[in-house]
Amino acid sequence: MFRFISKVWARFKEYFVLVILILFSLIILSQNQNQNVQKLRAIAFGSFASVTSLLTDLFSVTNLKRENEELRRTNAKLMMQISKLRSYGIVNSELKSLLELKDTSSLPFIPSTVVSRSLSMTQNTITLNAGSNDNVLPGMPVINDQGLIGIIHSVSDDYSIARTINNVDFKLTVMDERSRVNGILKWTGEELVIINIPFTFDVEIGDRIVSSEISSIVPIPIPVGIVSEFKAGESGVFSYIKVKPFVDLTPIENVFILAQVRSKQIDDLELNFYRRNK
Amino acid sequence: MKWYYISPFIVFFVVLLVQISIIPLLSISGIIPDLILITLVYYSISRNQLYGTVLGASYGLLIDLITGNLLGSSMLAKTIAGFAAGYFSGETKKDINTSTYNFSFIVLMCAMINDVVFSFFSAFDIQTNMVTLLFEQALIPSLYTAVVSVLFIFSPFRRRKI
Repeated sequence: MFRFISKVWARFKEYFVLVILILFSLIILSQNQNQNVQKLRAIAFGSFASVTSLLTDLFSVTNLKRENEELRRTNAKLMMQISKLRSYGIVNSELKSLLELKDTSSLPFIPSTVVSRSLSMTQNTITLNAGSNDNVLPGMPVINDQGLIGIIHSVSDDYSIARTINNVDFKLTVMDERSRVNGILKWTGEELVIINIPFTFDVEIGDRIVSSEISSIVPIPIPVGIVSEFKAGESGVFSYIKVKPFVDLTPIENVFILAQVRSKQIDDLELNFYRRNK
Repeated sequence: MKWYYISPFIVFFVVLLVQISIIPLLSISGIIPDLILITLVYYSISRNQLYGTVLGASYGLLIDLITGNLLGSSMLAKTIAGFAAGYFSGETKKDINTSTYNFSFIVLMCAMINDVVFSFFSAFDIQTNMVTLLFEQALIPSLYTAVVSVLFIFSPFRRRKI
């Protein structure tokens, strides 16, 4: 019997090992939300990111001049906008006090640098050099001066991984800034689209898309992109809305994590996967 | 003997460092070559199929852990790719298959397998067009990887026993 087994093993061992490893992979695929797996992942990417950050620092020195010029230009544009917004702000605060609305304009930002990135067509992620020691939590939005980049997914002590808008697991409630129509933004692996909006709803090419106030992940309007294509979907009931994102993910280096503090009462009421797993 | 098992992992970490920090600068419309796969194919051909399969699983698991991919997706894809590359190993074939353009064709085939499996498990849903999936997420990135693997054939590193 033993001889028979060893004979079969010797002849087919490659296939046995292949089947065992495939089964093991499938088991791991089903354990992605497991807390222990998340902890193991945090240790793994945290350790590797500390090495990668050294290399990134080396490369970023060469880009400093170009980035400085870009920042100066952005700064000048922002200064012009601020002076315009300041006058609106005064009127706004007066109107808000008349209507007794809560002020949501002051938001805490955590500055961070991209340490490494995984430019997969479907699983695009970035590793940032800010972690739980900087009060970063899963679910916090990652932005830059152009708009939304992604959402924090995993956090270690000093580093965090964010799923970018070009990740198939990234889904966000967004709205058309002009018509206030809400829909779900997702990455198909090829393009950024908004789903679940009936074809008869008011959406036009060129409309600005921002994160929706009803989103349980990003409840403040952050610019996402503009509508570049609008047509009837295959069923004819829902529309096919293609969005061109404001942010080009390839050259991003410096980002901000929006350390927004949500109302606990709202969190308890809503189905928020990121906060539910805490 | 220990070096036989340790060296692929030392090479892996060096290649991964390049893959996630330098290679994104070479991206064309978000498509980048997969240097880890080229390394895996090389080891799988120059050693044997069993070694390639286990190494593929180890590489895939480490990539999933480090990059934040869906855990298990790269592991599954690279296990099968390593197994497929192992068919081209053997005492008589390994030199020809790693030092000629055969290597690029093997990389192309394995990259196709890797990308199809990875895309299927990480991105496939009912609305996905299979032809587009195969073309944009498998064929084009695989071609890029195969083209880059040509450099490896002429690389001085390959001539040494890694």
